[in-house]
Amino acid sequence: MYAPFELDIPTDLDGALAALANGGGKTVLPIAGGTNLIVDIRAKRERPDRMVGLGEVDELLGMDFGPERIAIGGRTTVSDLLRSPEIAQAAPSLIDAARLFGGLMVRNTGTVAGNIASGSPAADLVPPLLVLDAELTLASASATRTLALDDYYLGYKQDARRPDELITRISWPRLPENSANTFYKLARRKGDAITVTGVAVTLSVTDGSCTRARIALASVAPIVRRVKEAEAVLEGEALTPALIDEAATAAADACTPIDDIRASAGYRRHTVQALTRRLVTQAWDRLA
Amino acid sequence: MTQTDVDPGTLANVQFRQVGKPLTRTDAPGKVTGRTPYAGDYVMPNMLHMRVVRADIASARLARLDVSKARALAGVACVLTADEVTDRTAATDIPGQTGQKRLDTDQPILVKDRVRYFGEPLALIAAETRDIADHAAELIEFELEPIPGVYDPLEALKPGAPLVYGEDNIVAERKIRKGDVEAGFARADLVVGNTYKTPFQEHAFLEPEVGLAWVDENDVVNIRVSTQVIEHFRPIADAIGVPHNKVRVRGALVGGGFGGKEDLTVEVYLALLAKQTGRPVRLEYSREDSFVGHGKRHPFILTYRTGVTKDGKITALDVQMIADAGAYVFLSPYVVLYALVAAPGPYRVDNLNVFAQAVATNNMYTSAFRGFGALQACTAYEQQMDEIANTLGIDRLELRRRNFLKTGEPMSTGFVPPSAIWTEQCAEKAWAGLGEPSPEKGPIRTGRGLACYQQSYGRLTFLHDTSEAWVGVEMDGTVVVRSGVTDIGAGQISALGQIAVEVLGVTLDNVVIYNSDSAVTPLAGTTTATRALYMTGNAAKQAAEGLRARLAERAAQEFGAAPDEIDMAFNEVFVIDRPEQRMPLVELVRTCAAEGIHRSELAIFRAPFSDFLDPETGQGQAHPDYAYGAHAVEVSVDVETGEVEVLKSIAAHDVGQCINPAAVEGQIQGGAQNGQGYALSEEMLYEEGRLVTPSFSEYLMPTAMDMPNVECIILESRSGVGPFGAKGIGEPAMTAVAPAIANAVADAIGVRVFEMPITPERVVTALQQRDAS
Ligand SMILES: Cc1cc2nc3c(=O)[nH]c(=O)nc-3n(C[C@H](O)[C@H](O)[C@H](O)COP(=O)(O)OP(=O)(O)OC[C@H]3O[C@@H](n4cnc5c(N)ncnc54)[C@H](O)[C@@H]3O)c2cc1C
Repeated sequence: MYAPFELDIPTDLDGALAALANGGGKTVLPIAGGTNLIVDIRAKRERPDRMVGLGEVDELLGMDFGPERIAIGGRTTVSDLLRSPEIAQAAPSLIDAARLFGGLMVRNTGTVAGNIASGSPAADLVPPLLVLDAELTLASASATRTLALDDYYLGYKQDARRPDELITRISWPRLPENSANTFYKLARRKGDAITVTGVAVTLSVTDGSCTRARIALASVAPIVRRVKEAEAVLEGEALTPALIDEAATAAADACTPIDDIRASAGYRRHTVQALTRRLVTQAWDRLA
Repeated sequence: MTQTDVDPGTLANVQFRQVGKPLTRTDAPGKVTGRTPYAGDYVMPNMLHMRVVRADIASARLARLDVSKARALAGVACVLTADEVTDRTAATDIPGQTGQKRLDTDQPILVKDRVRYFGEPLALIAAETRDIADHAAELIEFELEPIPGVYDPLEALKPGAPLVYGEDNIVAERKIRKGDVEAGFARADLVVGNTYKTPFQEHAFLEPEVGLAWVDENDVVNIRVSTQVIEHFRPIADAIGVPHNKVRVRGALVGGGFGGKEDLTVEVYLALLAKQTGRPVRLEYSREDSFVGHGKRHPFILTYRTGVTKDGKITALDVQMIADAGAYVFLSPYVVLYALVAAPGPYRVDNLNVFAQAVATNNMYTSAFRGFGALQACTAYEQQMDEIANTLGIDRLELRRRNFLKTGEPMSTGFVPPSAIWTEQCAEKAWAGLGEPSPEKGPIRTGRGLACYQQSYGRLTFLHDTSEAWVGVEMDGTVVVRSGVTDIGAGQISALGQIAVEVLGVTLDNVVIYNSDSAVTPLAGTTTATRALYMTGNAAKQAAEGLRARLAERAAQEFGAAPDEIDMAFNEVFVIDRPEQRMPLVELVRTCAAEGIHRSELAIFRAPFSDFLDPETGQGQAHPDYAYGAHAVEVSVDVETGEVEVLKSIAAHDVGQCINPAAVEGQIQGGAQNGQGYALSEEMLYEEGRLVTPSFSEYLMPTAMDMPNVECIILESRSGVGPFGAKGIGEPAMTAVAPAIANAVADAIGVRVFEMPITPERVVTALQQRDAS
């Protein structure tokens, strides 16, 4: 059973932000694809008094491929990502994640901002966006600010977004020349499954040395997070198997997985190590 | 892909016009265009909506149940608790199917004082809308005082274990004592012993349980319901306290059964509230209800000790099986009986001891599921064959070849299956079908596995199974078939049509089939146990043949020929070898009608009847006959993450005679998927009896992305006891899939995961344990 709620369907961004600003003490939530929120309402994990549907807010759509940065609207769906050759070129890890994301129906309605804002430790688009150094634009009726995605999550299902704010855009700098950017989703089946361990890697190489390393992990901590401890092992170095092992071990040591019905903490840590080693090795072998 | 092989020896003189062709099933157009109503599509004016309120602890005393607030809610028509349905039980199956030790172990319709499993129903609500019913459910107050429960069958067997009911937790025990096992072991060069574990499995049909009930002008309680067994009208009548002829179950095309709609599901609740309120009532389970609302596949612990000679001949086999029966008995005694009979598999084992137990726990009750115990046995005996082959260093197919049961040889119960045993042909074709090995790269290893099976078709012969069908020909030459058989999606009714029109020489578009109405279609028994084609197909064939004989006799008169010189094909009647002597069927039918010749026939088919197996030795006849076949797979395993991918899946089954190859292929494809999920990804986890994987977010069946192309190799020995020599494919399609996958994984990584599902984590753990030792 769905508890009754009011539904606003504003037709522009100002209307949406105004609706979020005027909650009057009630629980007001934005709803995009609804692929998380409706499930949560049905399970009584969320009980909004009112929802603000974003389905007609076209300012939240669109992709912009500038010379320096790429920006996409918060309402961009997973299928939109898959349909974009520019994204495939500029953010291969995002495509790796999008391809194995849910099923077709969920990909057609689930949005990037919804994935980020849901705050799930298993959100598949977040590790790729983290290793792309993504930045969020957060808008409210009174102000607009930008925030590094890396600073967005504060704790399990806790984030830096105020209830009256929307994620309007997600942007990231273009990858430097000679970079590799990948994501691996390990799950209990191939199609439509919650991630057991997710690892995203960006590696940039200049003159035989790793100039930039980004490693982000999903489902192995209360939040999706970068493992800077492991990145630091690699940056500025000519990578060797020993160094890559060290980074993989650092990643495994840094994560804080739990036992759940999908896998044990020990298995998750083991796969963080194996996959970090694998993805970094593959990237390095391709670039160096 | 389908490839068909027929036995040239038995092909002689048999030419089918309809049977064996991949005709468009009679149920296909309606389903494809969405015009087919399923049970959930039926509504009635003035209808109430039901909801079941369930216990949220697995083992408890119901200390308090207060439904007064729910009753007082506007729009609530009725709330029923055990106080209103005292002393009646929801019996589980048609007479004769009940097992041993059942007297006080039937599930009460509603909990009176003792909760034995998570989700056990406490109260029933009927309200004007679903929302009101849901709201009323929230207003029901209950207190459950936890009672120590038992959640592991091995624990349940220990002295002093909490009792689920009765004097001990043993629900059923069966044994086979055949030959001299000790002498057999003494003769063995090697004894291989292993324990295998199989998991719970959820049927996960597309269509959760649903039904609509109303009381008609004759005081008959009508129930339109999604079920495999319309003949539950009898236990339903008993449960609500009316005569048997006052309950009518009308089926609908079923959106999947797999055994999960073999027991009663929503029927008794519907009947009670329809009677109580005098209004139509509808109950539809949510997916979450469905997960706790019907019994699961029995998890088994199977310990095999096999004695073999150096050259791979089995000299003795000792098997211990323990099945988790869950909180109520349902079909557990029969499931362990099937497992018992299947224990040695399709192999000749003359010295055999088997001991099989079903044990009560406070887990979800377990009952019928495609394969019905025989599948769990196969999971063990086929892994064991690989373990033996590897220990002896004999090729895995060759080891099997040296032990296959051959046509005319006695099986585990001493019974000689009447049909051909083509395990070897099937195994060779499936194995060869794997073709060239796929390459290995980096952490990816590949491996191959084979599994062969023996699976009964038709119910236990001591149940004295019968099935009826009626075939009639209309004045315009079209054909009507009536039979109570339920169609659970496998094409059961279309097959009846195909059989009838083959015999009567009309085309499939000229037949209409009325089915699954317990009051007006001749009772055909259950759609379970791979019996529908065998039983009802034979009944339909008999009925059609009876009718044909009468028509042929009249035609012979007309043509001045002998009746056996008459043939009927493509809506015409003619004299064989004198095709110029012919007439349209419709003319013959009109002549018969004018002369009062009976244009219909009701037939009953009786399976062989036997006594129960000897209780001490397990010897005797258990089933009418058995199907044999094999499944082969190739997998890749990522040895770092433990992920398994099935690369090739090849099935080879002797179906006896294909009635509709397209439908047979459908069963094989589905069986491959069902078995792959069982082997690799489907897992029902219970914590103290509480299901912690209650939806498809946690319970993972293979998706299209997980499935390889399944190749179907259909063999036809034409030796089965079904119509035209058919055997069956519903259950057999699944039986050997999981062990084939397990064998392939073990082949890939050189170590076996003895417990299913073979999750990535279990693979990694097995590899780590091997490396540590
Ligand atoms: C069957 C199924 C399969 C799934 N598979 C996957 C998967 O493989 N990988 C994965 O990561 N997830 C998966 N999900 C989860 C979900 O689909 C994704 O997280 C999706 O991206 C959510 O987007 P949405 O637009 O539907 O969000 P919604 O459900 O509309 O919203 C989710 C949350 O985000 C908030 N929100 C939405 N838009 C904004 C915005 N612009 N600004 C601020 N807050 C906002 C909402 O208030 C809500 O709290 C699956 C879900 C289902 C039902």
